[in-house]
Amino acid sequence: MGHDEKFARLSRREAMALASAAGAAALINTSALAQGAPKKGGVLKVSANANPSSLDPQTGGAGSDHTMLFPMYDTLVEWDYETLKPKPGLAESWSFSDPQTLVMNIRSGVTFHDGTPLDAEAVKFNLERAKTEQRSNIKADLATVASVAVTGPQQVTLKLSQPDAALPGILSDRAGMMISPTAVKASGNIDRKPVGAGAYQFVSWTDNEKIVVKRYDKYWRANERHLDGIEFAIIPELATGVRSVIAGQNHVAYSLPARQKAVLKRASNINQASGPTVYCQQIYFNWGKPPFNDIRVRKAINHAVDRATFVKATLDGVGEPAYMNLPSSHWAYDADVAKLYPHDLDKARALLKEANIPQGFELDLVGYTDQDSIRREEILIEQFAKVGLKAKFTNGSIAEISAAFFGKDKKGVGLLSAWTGRPDPSLTYTLLYSKNSYFNAARADVPAGLPEALAATRASENIDARKKAFATVQRIVMENALACPLAFQFELDALSPKVKGFKPNLLGKPKYEGVWLES
Amino acid sequence: MAQGSALAMIGRRLLQAAPVIVLATFIVFGLLKLLPGDVAVTLAGDNATDDRIAEIRRIYGLDRPFLVQYGVWLWKAAHGDLSQSILSGEQVLTSIARCFPHTLLIVVMALGLALLIGVPLGAAAAARPNGLIDRATMTLASIGIAVPNFWLAMILVSLFALRWNIFPATGATAFSVSPADAINHAILPALALAAGGMAEVARQVRGSLLDVMSSQFVRTLRAKGLKTSTILWRHGLKNIAVNLLTVTGLLFNRLLAATVVVEAVFAIPGMGGLIVHAAIQRDFTVVQGVVFAMVIVVILVNLVTDMLCAAIDPRIGR
Repeated sequence: MGHDEKFARLSRREAMALASAAGAAALINTSALAQGAPKKGGVLKVSANANPSSLDPQTGGAGSDHTMLFPMYDTLVEWDYETLKPKPGLAESWSFSDPQTLVMNIRSGVTFHDGTPLDAEAVKFNLERAKTEQRSNIKADLATVASVAVTGPQQVTLKLSQPDAALPGILSDRAGMMISPTAVKASGNIDRKPVGAGAYQFVSWTDNEKIVVKRYDKYWRANERHLDGIEFAIIPELATGVRSVIAGQNHVAYSLPARQKAVLKRASNINQASGPTVYCQQIYFNWGKPPFNDIRVRKAINHAVDRATFVKATLDGVGEPAYMNLPSSHWAYDADVAKLYPHDLDKARALLKEANIPQGFELDLVGYTDQDSIRREEILIEQFAKVGLKAKFTNGSIAEISAAFFGKDKKGVGLLSAWTGRPDPSLTYTLLYSKNSYFNAARADVPAGLPEALAATRASENIDARKKAFATVQRIVMENALACPLAFQFELDALSPKVKGFKPNLLGKPKYEGVWLES
Repeated sequence: MAQGSALAMIGRRLLQAAPVIVLATFIVFGLLKLLPGDVAVTLAGDNATDDRIAEIRRIYGLDRPFLVQYGVWLWKAAHGDLSQSILSGEQVLTSIARCFPHTLLIVVMALGLALLIGVPLGAAAAARPNGLIDRATMTLASIGIAVPNFWLAMILVSLFALRWNIFPATGATAFSVSPADAINHAILPALALAAGGMAEVARQVRGSLLDVMSSQFVRTLRAKGLKTSTILWRHGLKNIAVNLLTVTGLLFNRLLAATVVVEAVFAIPGMGGLIVHAAIQRDFTVVQGVVFAMVIVVILVNLVTDMLCAAIDPRIGR
């Protein structure tokens, strides 16, 4: 056990050191970052992991869409690659004139790909469409926005129904991706004919095959974008995607499972990039059902898992232990909360005994059938056995099992899955731990004080005040052991040596902003 | 007589096709609906709420009774409208028209390889039963059947694409765009698929030929002084043609199904990828459309096989 703790300390310290090294999230093999002067031209070929759900950011829903949306759509707010702190995008500045009024100044001279100017009217149109369009999937994101007013040719004022400092973060995601009002008015449905104001404009989308975008010459930062275009070849089988990069057919494969690390190492002509992400593997508890309606059992699970070994065994070091829903490099991470659940078998056994859980008690868990999930399950079964719990997993496809666990059926008492993260952590915590949230499987009552603590994270825009507010939220969530976070899976990308200037980001959804190709 | 009976056969088969299509699509539809989870959850995305999921079910009519949903689909399909994908919005017929040629090319090439290699091997084996060639062929055939094609596919990729760079590792080109490039992309997947087929063809040819070779008329031919090779190629193959055709038809249908795995390994945007993706996401219009198309293809292949058999052996048509 002493050895394990040493490993835990080492790997966490290591991860933090690496994450802050040179202020860059990219580590391991950084030759991709050793760059000369960027060269203009060339088409970047990316092996994309899934067919997008839609190329309209408001009607789509999959987290895997973003990496294809970012090149076409600029967002009102952007984020810092390493910490996800909001920074200006299409909105060159913003301020809360009072906690319920957000004033945004929109950059002048920006146009959509169809020539429509991106002004205050266009922003108003987008935000209102996101709130009212029948097919919009992001109504909840903008729930606090009561009205949008044009208060200048390049200025919008958002009236809020309650203080919401998370809005800048939210406007760096789908809700902030600006779509040409002209295109929407013309056809109503732009799922397959996207028109944004990003660096690259849409050319074609062949389902499950390819998405092609080309350079938009009138882009407002055109001199900072070096590629002639990007081609996304849709290859859902990630091992196949890696082979396509090794064979030289594609330049990039991203978000690879850790077990591909060995393959990449063996390939002589491949660079790796890696960095922390907010992608959190965790056990979701149904805390409305026995045995997890008993806080002692949930706490026991949190003490029973050996996160350091879990990371070592399932992620080959390409990750870090998770003690809350934010990784150590995130701006709102709280080091004290991370100390709540050291690996402690005696404590876990004592808690289980207190809760009258007999030895050999069977935990009815659910999970997924893919190779990596099975591997994670095997580790957990072994770890739970040490405190006398018998974990039994029922597995199925993601769609089937997650619907059965979170939906009507309420199958299983716990789900081994992941949370992909959000640009603003308040969204993460609200979606995971609210009374009526879909991801609260039982829709059970949440601990006292949590809704107020969550509201507090949105009350002030001051980042130190928010950090404090998040510390409170994280403490309530983890002291009540509403979930068992296990590990943050780091980004792992395979890059052709021709690719220069690529940087992973903390969101784990690659952007190709500074990328250029060596001829 | 020949023409009349052929037309009658086509008519009969097409009449048979209708209930098969209805039954197959109904069963698949039922299975999809029995499984927990539906496309509304996928459509609602990562920020799903119960209300949003319910709303999407309403928008897409997923909250209607099971039989109504199936009935609407069937009614449209009967009028040539396979509806559109719930997820991507693309017309299902368009998706099929795009994906099927990729799959067809691999299957046809695999079938060609299986016959080209399997028939001579089988014939050579039959020429000298229990000889060296026979034993080698049958060992090879056993291996061919035993080796999983996805494993073989990966071995082929690592050798021919990654190490020697002869063929592309992934992807496909439409035959209509560049036939040469399309074939170049299809060679490795076709080889991977063909292994099992070759083995089966070789075994069937050997077995049937051995039957023929032990028959009375072959003894007569031998007595007339014909060489074994002449008997094999001229008389033997003609006599096993019906068997071979039947096997070929069955093989075609089986290869069609086997592409699901091989397409994933090579990232070929064919029918396999289309239906797997759709089934996982519960995009039932696409699943239904693919099943519909596949049933028609299989029925057509069987029909053509039967007609060819009847043409070769007039006894069958009667």
